Amino acid sequence: MNVTAASSSVSPASVGRWRTARPWLGTLVRLGLAAVWLAAGSTKVGDLAASGRAVNAYDVMPYDLAKAIGAALPFVELALGVLLVVGLATRLAAGVSAALLVVFVAGITQAWARGLQIDCGCFGSGGQLAAGQSPTYGLEILRDVGFLALAGFLLIWPLTRLSIDSWLEKT
Amino acid sequence: MSSRAGQKQAARMVRDQIARERRRSRTLWASVAAVAVLVVAGLIGWGVVASQDSGEFTAPAGAVEDGTGIKVGSGPVQIDIYEDFICPACGQFEQQTGAAIDQLVADGKAAVVYHPLAFLDRYSTTDYSTRASAASGAAAEGGKFREYAKALFAQQPAEGSAGLSDDKLIEIGRSVGLGDAFAQAVRDGKYKPWTAHVTDAASEDGVNGTPTVRVGGKDVQPTTEAIQAAVG
Repeated sequence: MNVTAASSSVSPASVGRWRTARPWLGTLVRLGLAAVWLAAGSTKVGDLAASGRAVNAYDVMPYDLAKAIGAALPFVELALGVLLVVGLATRLAAGVSAALLVVFVAGITQAWARGLQIDCGCFGSGGQLAAGQSPTYGLEILRDVGFLALAGFLLIWPLTRLSIDSWLEKT
Repeated sequence: MSSRAGQKQAARMVRDQIARERRRSRTLWASVAAVAVLVVAGLIGWGVVASQDSGEFTAPAGAVEDGTGIKVGSGPVQIDIYEDFICPACGQFEQQTGAAIDQLVADGKAAVVYHPLAFLDRYSTTDYSTRASAASGAAAEGGKFREYAKALFAQQPAEGSAGLSDDKLIEIGRSVGLGDAFAQAVRDGKYKPWTAHVTDAASEDGVNGTPTVRVGGKDVQPTTEAIQAAVG
């Protein structure tokens, strides 16, 4: 295999720049995803009953299970946010983030497909929409796909600057 | 290759091996710690809700048997109305259909079960939805649920505000003829557990928004025409 020929389309200079910039870009991505989780968790944590109702509005599980998930979810979101802020087990946190986001997208998609009139409850509120309000499923899914891209970046390149992970790597 | 160089290389390989092992076990422990954080966080949320679910409540007079609402009238058809006292659409619903529904009750055509739930506590800074609903329970105990509910909707506070104070809730009660027992019940929050029960039961019955109207157990548009047509 001729390695030089294979990589000749990318100039060595740009590879070098990418190598220097990537860990810092990764830090931005990590903090960005952390901000998403912290915002999502903190808007829900004040009213866990409402969070359970928002889960129940998707109409995919018994109410008691929806209540339990609705109660646990805001705390898990906050915990993910904290893990990402400090950069501990970033790949794992990114993996859990991606899994959660896929579940959210699936939930919104089925609500859309079944014609439910609900608010996704992604950042607080949730439940059925008032008369005259229309759902914004497309936008909600697009937004979640954007967040998935952040998680994907960290799954591929979990080592970022200013993180516990990279500090552990060095010691 | 001299034997000394070979020894050096072997030593370096062992060192690298040890370093790799150490890194791997660090990664493992970091992952274990992270998983523990996530699991504990989930359990905290679950525990908080489980501890709030006491299930003990006192239903006011006039409540239906399972305590999920206040029954008005005795007609053959049952109308269920789920409302939150701070929900603007519920205020409009009361204005537009309240008189027609009272007429259905007066004519003996329908009985109405009002479910004054608290979905929107986050939409006021003082949990107005719960306080107003609990106060309406106290009004039911005093035999004036409907009068009181109408008066509350007539003075409905805006979403995002502090809502009406307890003093104001009591003052409105006095204006419809409720007395000291009512005032005391409002101050003590006597019917707040009942409000939680009403809210929970409504969610369990698939009510996700307010106002929700059901005639004979079936969802109906919250308009005078639709309700009258469904009652027949």
